[in-house]
Amino acid sequence: MNKRSSPFNLIKRIAFNFMIIFILVYLLFPFYWAVNSSLKTESQLFMTPATALPRDPVTLEFSPTFQNYSAVLQDGQFLRGLANSTIVATSTTALALVAGSFAAFALGKLRFRGRKPALYLILAMTMFPQVTVLTGLYAVITALGFPARISLIFAYMIFTLPFTTWVLTAFFKELPDALMESAQVDGATPFQTFRSILLPLTAPALVTTGLLAFIAAWNEYLFALTFTSIDPSARTVPVAIAYFAGAVARQEPFGEIMAAASLVTVPLVVLVLIFQRRIVAGLTAGAVKG
Amino acid sequence: MGSNNDSSTNKKKASSRKAKLSNLAKREERLALKLLLPALLIIALIAFYPLAQVFYTSFTDRVFASGQETNFIGFDNYSRLLSVHVTTLDPVLDEATGEIMIDPDTGKEVYERPIDVLPREPSRFREVNQFDLFGNRYVIGATDPSFIKSVSNTVVFTVVSVFLELVLGLAIALVVNSKFRFRGSMRAAMLVPWAVITVVSARMWEWMLASSRVGMFNALFDRLGLIESPIAFLAAGSYQLPAMIAVDVWKTTPFMALLLLAGLQTMPEDIFEAAEIDGAGKIRQFVTITLPLLKPAMAVALIFRTLDALRVFDIFQVMLGQAQYSMASYNYFQLIGNRAMGLASAIGVIIFILIFGFAIAYIKMLGVDKNE
Repeated sequence: MNKRSSPFNLIKRIAFNFMIIFILVYLLFPFYWAVNSSLKTESQLFMTPATALPRDPVTLEFSPTFQNYSAVLQDGQFLRGLANSTIVATSTTALALVAGSFAAFALGKLRFRGRKPALYLILAMTMFPQVTVLTGLYAVITALGFPARISLIFAYMIFTLPFTTWVLTAFFKELPDALMESAQVDGATPFQTFRSILLPLTAPALVTTGLLAFIAAWNEYLFALTFTSIDPSARTVPVAIAYFAGAVARQEPFGEIMAAASLVTVPLVVLVLIFQRRIVAGLTAGAVKG
Repeated sequence: MGSNNDSSTNKKKASSRKAKLSNLAKREERLALKLLLPALLIIALIAFYPLAQVFYTSFTDRVFASGQETNFIGFDNYSRLLSVHVTTLDPVLDEATGEIMIDPDTGKEVYERPIDVLPREPSRFREVNQFDLFGNRYVIGATDPSFIKSVSNTVVFTVVSVFLELVLGLAIALVVNSKFRFRGSMRAAMLVPWAVITVVSARMWEWMLASSRVGMFNALFDRLGLIESPIAFLAAGSYQLPAMIAVDVWKTTPFMALLLLAGLQTMPEDIFEAAEIDGAGKIRQFVTITLPLLKPAMAVALIFRTLDALRVFDIFQVMLGQAQYSMASYNYFQLIGNRAMGLASAIGVIIFILIFGFAIAYIKMLGVDKNE
């Protein structure tokens, strides 16, 4: 019997496609609404009922405006923020991945005393709300005399390092010990085993944790607001957006905020598109025999 | 080289093999410490002082950003935050008839005022909530009702939203893991909610949930004829928590989905092929192979989501302000609004202990810290 043409399979395929469409609408609709709002003038924003497309208040014709975007792009703060965020989030991710994967190798694959305490210690580091550690962290940063961007990179370790370490530990642990043993028999040092066997096999996990950590650092607001207070030139995107005075809006620059949010999200999506190929490329599932 | 090693060790006595083994174990231990060093250094540099300071400050009456003298006050902050008292409320009797008084407006029985029955020592207890049990009316009072309320808000928020995120995230991960066209773009698209800056996304939702037809939801519900008049999602008490949960589920489901997807992708395919040959159905494969293999990834995803949800701050702060607190936004209010740094630190420690409890529960339940 030909499986593809059976009516049952057709129904299954239609149901599957519906599911994909449903998921996409659920995840993307609010973002669409942000883009929609960013293309409206202040008076269009306050139209009742709200319109699904930017429309002229009188004639109801489709009339988007790009004034919010040009205001955002002319704002030096925003572009500088983009550069700062890129530097900070990239460095944070790199540091958290390197230190995290080293630690995860030890915690997931090596036997040593104090393994559990180390795991819990690393996790405990991120169990306090950010507000609580803010004053203490600020004192440390001031004492160390780091410039604002470096301070942010270190401060972000508080939430990225435990995350990368724990996720990678879980993934390393799942790899069969036989892999390491056979590599050792072949004369590879543990570190060589780590670099040339464990890392490639867990590439999907590495890329995923890297992306999630990058976005977490990119979006952080409270630390960024505090640590850049003395050095406005180091402000990251979320802080820059919060400081929008509003070039075109009379009241609150909501349209500009939405324009900035849309602009900031696009490079992240492109980043994911680039890296997700790597996720697939890193798949060498055949080599793992469970 | 490997076979050489094997044959030579075979000839050696058991004792020397043991010595070699312990030598190997020592080397492994040294390597582990070296590998852990960067992470531990970062913790020592960045986390040690702030965390120690939080613990210490929680036992003082320190005032934020002031030169005022700080006193050590023991557990006072904790007792102020955590003192809870439950007592019965008696119905009020009508003096003329001796019967239970009925409110003429609502038609319900009138009870004593909680303020009259709750203790005033060591400091005044105020009402958190009332409930009926076995025909009696009880009142819960606390010295800091806002905090107790914020704890219950946060725990409800966490349990419901993390559960929904797990279910939705798993469904999305399974869909994206199957082969279809546009799979790559789908994976990028599914990250969009997580990528939108949190503070901005809170503003965006606030706008969509606006209490008039300026807001998307009220405009939509009105168009569909579902509502008579616009709903004040963020001002009406009964909608506030569900609104926060909806926003958080939307925002962080991608986080869960992506971690679970990575778990699905590192699974060896040949197990499924073998199961297929053995005639195991898709559902059976899912229950007996996928779920157990997914457990480690699920456990870390759950731990970090729960941890984040218990510390939820941005959306409560932006969308509800002082109307309804999460633990962290109450913490912020005490620190920045009241400058009560000692009290705020105690709140931080309580959150820490709560999170620690949740983490241990997950780790034990899902068995992630087993040494195999």
